[in-house]
Amino acid sequence: MAATNYELWKTKIITGEPELSIVIPTYNEEQRILPTIGAISWFISKTRANWELIIADDGSTDKTLEAVKQLEFPNLSLLTTQRHVGKGAAVQQGMLVARGRYILYCDADNSTPIEEITRLLPKVEQEGYDIAIGSRDLRSRARTKSPLLRHWSRHWRAWVVKQLLHLPIQDTQCGFKLFTQQAAQNLFQMQTIKSFAFDMEILYLATRWQYNIAEVPVGWVDAFESRFGTQEVHRFLFDLPRIRQNHRQDVFAVAAESLVPRGMPLHNAR
Amino acid sequence: MTNQSNSTVRILQLNGRFDAFEAADVAAQLDELMIGESPRVIVNMANVVFIDSAALATLIKAMKRARQRNGDCRLCALQPQVQVIFELTRLNQAFEIFKDEYTAIQSFREMPAYASDSAPVAGQLRWGTRA
Repeated sequence: MAATNYELWKTKIITGEPELSIVIPTYNEEQRILPTIGAISWFISKTRANWELIIADDGSTDKTLEAVKQLEFPNLSLLTTQRHVGKGAAVQQGMLVARGRYILYCDADNSTPIEEITRLLPKVEQEGYDIAIGSRDLRSRARTKSPLLRHWSRHWRAWVVKQLLHLPIQDTQCGFKLFTQQAAQNLFQMQTIKSFAFDMEILYLATRWQYNIAEVPVGWVDAFESRFGTQEVHRFLFDLPRIRQNHRQDVFAVAAESLVPRGMPLHNAR
Repeated sequence: MTNQSNSTVRILQLNGRFDAFEAADVAAQLDELMIGESPRVIVNMANVVFIDSAALATLIKAMKRARQRNGDCRLCALQPQVQVIFELTRLNQAFEIFKDEYTAIQSFREMPAYASDSAPVAGQLRWGTRA
């Protein structure tokens, strides 16, 4: 049965609005992307026929695009850009073209196994949350051999985020987040940060627009080849204060005028 | 794994998620099994639920190393979702893959240096299977 579902999904185009869209941002992922596509395609096809996969590439210079194109899956869309802008830009592009009733974005290394979506989906499908985000800090299911420096790096980032944005969320940067289509359309249209810090902006906006956010413990495997190097740290520190600054300058409000959000914005910054 | 000889088939059984986190340990285990002039290794993947690129690279390296020495590293009992990953990466064309361990062992009988009276030696490598 599972094999039949997978074969159908990879050969026949779905009709109507998808129940689920999955967005994967990529940048030079020629090695890691195919196993992840395989795992996701198989697992999701077991339970859902009507879903789409979107690979949002951020200007890869390796053979990522060729690897994805040669699959020729009718329900897989490949979005490309001419130059490398940032992970936030790729996710934004994918989230805004996704047609699914629910939209997940996840990392290209499958570091949070796709099976964990079964923990997030009931939150939005049955419990009425607008957003369900994976959290690596809510239970000790993570498998990691990270050097101590990298472990600290993740924690100081979390500390900085807490100090600057006062988000009531433990893990803002887990690359495994599920949105209703309405929340995704609203929030990602207002996104201004194109770097790794885009997660914080989206969550900052989501709390200010009073979306209901469920933080859900998920398993996680450290994939070692982190792209969060010195350059990204500098950009992170530069971008983070801009989130509130952009809000003060009413960038968000201007962008929001053209939207019909479900959530109502909070007017006073914390 | 102390009974090394050219005609012995060695079996490595893997469990759970085979990824970058486990690749170094598995590579070391495979290295230990590659002793001898014509190493014959079977990786039993019946309990493997996901394989990533680092793990695939580990298996490719083992396969190449074995073939350079007139042996082979063969795979068996792939779960469907893992089979899909081999198909998408086209590595199903590079490896000899068998439906079960018995068939994989039998396949080595066709190789010239295999002694029919030698019993396979099982190497076990386990890690915490995900809930």
